[in-house]
Amino acid sequence: MSRPSTLRTRRGTGPRRGSPKLRMQVGFLLIAIVLSVFAGRLVQLQGLDPDSYAQMAAAEGSDHVVLPASRGEILDRNGEPLAETVDGRMIIADPAVTAKVAPQLATVLAKRLGIDYFQTLERLRVEDSRFQYVARQVPASKAEKVVADIRKEFEDEDGRPFAGLTTERDPLRIYPNDDVAANLLGFLGTPKDDGSAQALAGLEASFNKYLSGKDGEATYEVGAGNQIPLGDNTVTPAVDGRNLHLTIDRDLQFYAQRVLQQTVTRAAGKSGIAVIMDSRTGDLLALADYPTYDASDPYRYDDSLYKSSALTDVYEPGSVEKVLTVSSLVDAGLAFKEQKFRVPGQLHRQDRPIGDYWEHGMLRLTLAGIIAKSSNVGTVLAADQFHNGQLRRYLTAYGLGQRTDVGLGGETKGLLPQGAAWTSQVGDRIAFGQSLSVNAVQMAAAVNTIANGGVRIAPSLVQGEATTDKGQKVGSDVASTTRVISADAAHETMLMMERVLDPEEGVAPGAAVPGYRVAGKTGTAQRVGENGGYDGSTTVSFAGFAPADDPRFTIYVVVHSPRPGSGGGSTAGPAFSKLMSYTLRRYGVPPTGGKPNQTPVEW
Amino acid sequence: MSSTAPQIRRLQSVAPRIAQAALERARLTVVPRTRRTRAPRVPFVAFVSVILLAGVVGLLLFNTSMQQASFKATALENQATDLGAQQEALEMDIQALREPQRLARLAQDMGMVIPSTPAGVLDLSTGRITGKPVPASGGDAIPLHMPGPKKPAELQRPADVEVNPAKVDAARTDAGTKPKNTTDGAPTGDR
Repeated sequence: MSRPSTLRTRRGTGPRRGSPKLRMQVGFLLIAIVLSVFAGRLVQLQGLDPDSYAQMAAAEGSDHVVLPASRGEILDRNGEPLAETVDGRMIIADPAVTAKVAPQLATVLAKRLGIDYFQTLERLRVEDSRFQYVARQVPASKAEKVVADIRKEFEDEDGRPFAGLTTERDPLRIYPNDDVAANLLGFLGTPKDDGSAQALAGLEASFNKYLSGKDGEATYEVGAGNQIPLGDNTVTPAVDGRNLHLTIDRDLQFYAQRVLQQTVTRAAGKSGIAVIMDSRTGDLLALADYPTYDASDPYRYDDSLYKSSALTDVYEPGSVEKVLTVSSLVDAGLAFKEQKFRVPGQLHRQDRPIGDYWEHGMLRLTLAGIIAKSSNVGTVLAADQFHNGQLRRYLTAYGLGQRTDVGLGGETKGLLPQGAAWTSQVGDRIAFGQSLSVNAVQMAAAVNTIANGGVRIAPSLVQGEATTDKGQKVGSDVASTTRVISADAAHETMLMMERVLDPEEGVAPGAAVPGYRVAGKTGTAQRVGENGGYDGSTTVSFAGFAPADDPRFTIYVVVHSPRPGSGGGSTAGPAFSKLMSYTLRRYGVPPTGGKPNQTPVEW
Repeated sequence: MSSTAPQIRRLQSVAPRIAQAALERARLTVVPRTRRTRAPRVPFVAFVSVILLAGVVGLLLFNTSMQQASFKATALENQATDLGAQQEALEMDIQALREPQRLARLAQDMGMVIPSTPAGVLDLSTGRITGKPVPASGGDAIPLHMPGPKKPAELQRPADVEVNPAKVDAARTDAGTKPKNTTDGAPTGDR
């Protein structure tokens, strides 16, 4: 307090300086006001909401990017890609800039990217918009090249590059084999708004999580587009999706699809299925559907085709089911292959007579003959020996009426009547393959049980193990095996099935594979039409395996609604023969050198 | 008292001398300044300045080189992305060329078919040939194209990528012919 006086003595005081005391007070008051403003701001920053301010500070000059996880590939059993993801771009227009040069720009874009000119023109001219998609999922190198060229070509008078088009990451899923295995793969639609994949069908949909992986993120400080060294950065790495290895063999799948297409179109059929299965492992080597679609360009096809009808559509299997009935009889000790039956032309049962597909009087057939000639009447007579519920137990063990769960969504489990629904006339019809419904993979796995020495091995579509989005573990590593019939019963059934291909006695000589022993069974079933009753159309099929005495492959060919008069032997048989020959050759299976057995069919 | 008188007197005669001496002893004198030897100031200051300067310049150089490295890293990353995209595009081209349907088409153009008959098997250990090899015939030809969609044309969504390759005329039997490329050199398979 004594300082001012000394100061005053030094400086000397002007007459206008006023009283020092007043000046001091005013000065301190000003300082106090300023400091309270600071204090208030401090309380606001630190006391009220410190976190958000800290975040704002961090965001200042820092860049946040999503590190996208790359989607896993779908590969065939030999590692050939069936579906893969490549780097893609979306091309985005800023109509505020592009509207002026829209026609020229649209011409260039339409020519270079093959997109629709008029649609592009419209998008380049949208009013009051700064963001319009021009093209999505264009391969990256192509998109960058096109945009770079356009920037140069349309630069303004001052030589600045054209700013109307930008690109953003937009991964592109490609299916290099077009329609091969499309029915299994499914496809990805336009990504969702958050950039995640939108799987629309098939394995892409049922294993979406497994394939997708998990996006990561990174935050780092940037200056002029470069990361500032030693700046704060945090990185959560992306976890890439895993690859899905299928049991499918791409080339075999291709051949199966083409042979099936040929078979169905020649028979003027509505649709068809071909299943090729490794007898010992249950691996599905090919699962062909006709008609199918092109996974590279799915929107040109009707969406009813985006499925695997081998799993989603059920039908009545017809006579192929007879081998299940007969093998169960043999296993239960109720029949043997030379057992003698008197088979009349018609059998009068409760509601309607049971007949055969050909007119005949009283025939004297062995059990092998009943199979070789595919006699409904004979099968019903043989099945009469079952105890109550016995056939149903066997068919359940064969896997009928239960999903195969190979990993595709939308599988229908078929229908095996139970309880009161299994009346005696239903039982009679089931014995020869009507009044029950199956899907093709179920039926192939059931016939494969006989090829595999009486042990049913669950079919698999995925190699190793993978988890579906529903949390199911599927794959060849978790395929279950169950013994359905004894090895002896399976062998005896095989011997009877071999007679089906006999050129003299059998109904399907066309299914034979020269040099190899083949066992099989034809099927011609009445189809249930739209109205729930039989509509007069049929389902013809052939299921078999080779080499008969040491089975390696089971093949099942089904044709729905062929022209009237087609039979399983004449329509599906030749397709079976083609596919089996190709498969045996492809996998280098030598003939066993045995001769077909000559079990008598008549007595 | 009488005994002390002579002592006092003696004292009085002695005291001034003692006091004088004491006084002499008690007087403070200024200590003569001794000359301290001091380090010369200039070199030290220079040394410290050099250290400081070297530190600052070093830091500056280090920071600059880090920035340079960062620029370079960004440039290289961009280059890597571009090259990756190019590689992918080339791989796509290869895939399109390796498509089973394309190979089947080229082979059938040359008059080759996938035989639908089993092959003979030569057992290398015994030299025996088993099986019944049958020569393939023209009847083994398979359809090369899947049937097209059954939708009316006006419902067809335009595709994002060009999918109309030139149809290869059946007369061509040169296996080395490439499918006609789109503008950007990505051959698309037959669809």
